[in-house]
Amino acid sequence: MTHTTQDLLPIFRYVFENDEIEISETTVAADIPEWDSLNHIYLVVAIEKHFKVKFTTHQIQSWQCVGDIITHLNL
Amino acid sequence: MLFNSFEFLLFFPLVFILHWFVFNNGKSSQNLFLIIASYFFYSCWDWRFSFLLGFSTILDYYSGLVISNSNDLKTKRNWMRLSIFINLGILCYFKYTNFFIDSFIHLFNSIGFHCDPFTLNIIIPIGISFYTFHGISYVLDNYYGRIKATTNLVEYSLFVSFFPLLVAGPIERATHLLPQLSRKRKFSYVQSIEGCRLILWGMFKKVVIADSLSPIVEDIFTNYQNHNGITLIIGVISFAFQVYGDFSGYTDIARGISKLLGIELILNFNFPYFSRSIPEFWSRWHISLSSWLNDYVFTPLALKFRHHEKYGIFIAIFITFLISGFWHGAGLHFIAWGGYYGLLYIPYIFSKKGIKSIVSKKSDPLKASDLPKIILTFSLVCLGYVFFRSPELSHSFRFLDHLISDCSLSQKVAYKSFLIYPLLILLADLIRFKSNFLDSIPVYILIVLMILHHSTNQSNFIYFKF
Repeated sequence: MTHTTQDLLPIFRYVFENDEIEISETTVAADIPEWDSLNHIYLVVAIEKHFKVKFTTHQIQSWQCVGDIITHLNL
Repeated sequence: MLFNSFEFLLFFPLVFILHWFVFNNGKSSQNLFLIIASYFFYSCWDWRFSFLLGFSTILDYYSGLVISNSNDLKTKRNWMRLSIFINLGILCYFKYTNFFIDSFIHLFNSIGFHCDPFTLNIIIPIGISFYTFHGISYVLDNYYGRIKATTNLVEYSLFVSFFPLLVAGPIERATHLLPQLSRKRKFSYVQSIEGCRLILWGMFKKVVIADSLSPIVEDIFTNYQNHNGITLIIGVISFAFQVYGDFSGYTDIARGISKLLGIELILNFNFPYFSRSIPEFWSRWHISLSSWLNDYVFTPLALKFRHHEKYGIFIAIFITFLISGFWHGAGLHFIAWGGYYGLLYIPYIFSKKGIKSIVSKKSDPLKASDLPKIILTFSLVCLGYVFFRSPELSHSFRFLDHLISDCSLSQKVAYKSFLIYPLLILLADLIRFKSNFLDSIPVYILIVLMILHHSTNQSNFIYFKF
């Protein structure tokens, strides 16, 4: 199954407590004011729980945009 | 060679003229010349440590290249670990060896053995904490694929050794500084004027404010038994403005000098004493160090402990601040200062609203109703300064004990340090950030005269020793 930004959108809105957030594969942390270092950790935990996956630290640290998260989800 | 020294007054104009009028053929000649100038500047303290700087530069440059060019994760990891191990090993040897020896002797003696105290004669290379962090962030950014390693050793060497930031920061990132070094710099009149303004305001904060507060603070902290509680409080507040004037003044001068050479350095201070919470304070104070610790210490730790939820976050924050304290100096009082900030995060982490970040990303405009929060945050920061400023941990506790036990009013309260200098520093920052009628030539002439008047006692920058 291939995941897309639409699968991630509800998680982003839940973690960042903002229902107006829109994301694309090129969205970066600077585009979302709520996406700071701590919310990033909560985002990782929420994605891992939702998709029942476990990312390595190297994978997480290499994410630079939403597209990178999707790439690792689809591995 | 201090920024506020006569030697620098000769050194920098020469560098400026040669940079723009002699070595202006291209970026390579500009960069090479600045490396030579930077190593000369560094050698003025102790030429032997130039070799250490050179070694650290080549190690991280080569590690970055291998990491970036390799497709094998194991090779990348091994080189990343090797580089960080050597960098931290060098830092620990020079900065912490005597601290560890002293601690072990105390430990042995406390469990019944007898060991005479001794220390090794180790000189700490100036700026080692700063350029080590430059190298570590570069290697880690390569390891995590955030940047592609530069193949230009000259540009990388200048990134590490650029003299305005070499000895006390700000701690730059490769993503911000390297692109500026990879193109030919063109002289900009506007940028140069802005640079001159920054240098003047920086000198004003350092020479007129921080150096004037220095003897008051020194006396109050050294002879605290002879002062009452109110004077001790004034001493702590005075230190808050001394350290701010000293370090933000240094940073302004460094940024101003860089602007005159066509290079922009990151902002390091943003009205820290107007913070409404501790996380906001750390997003406004020594921003380059806070964000460095956030990215390279807190985030990896928080990811490691992420499944322990808020407890994991607390552990990550607490360790990060302990490291921050230890980075500032080899002493239990610095570790206590770091631990104190770690504990201050507890209400933010475990409150219903929760913490947003170790350094808050968003900052709403200030309102009059924020005043109680600003006062509370500033008071907490001042309490931390007792640990930061004291020569040792036991002194901090004795100082606090005396402060609480004797709170009678004194006739000899240093009102000048309490009222005039904080107002002057606020004025300096407001003018620096927002142009207004005070941003005029007569005002700058007045500032130069004040700097000259106060410059008889040349003193070192506080952050040089870190």
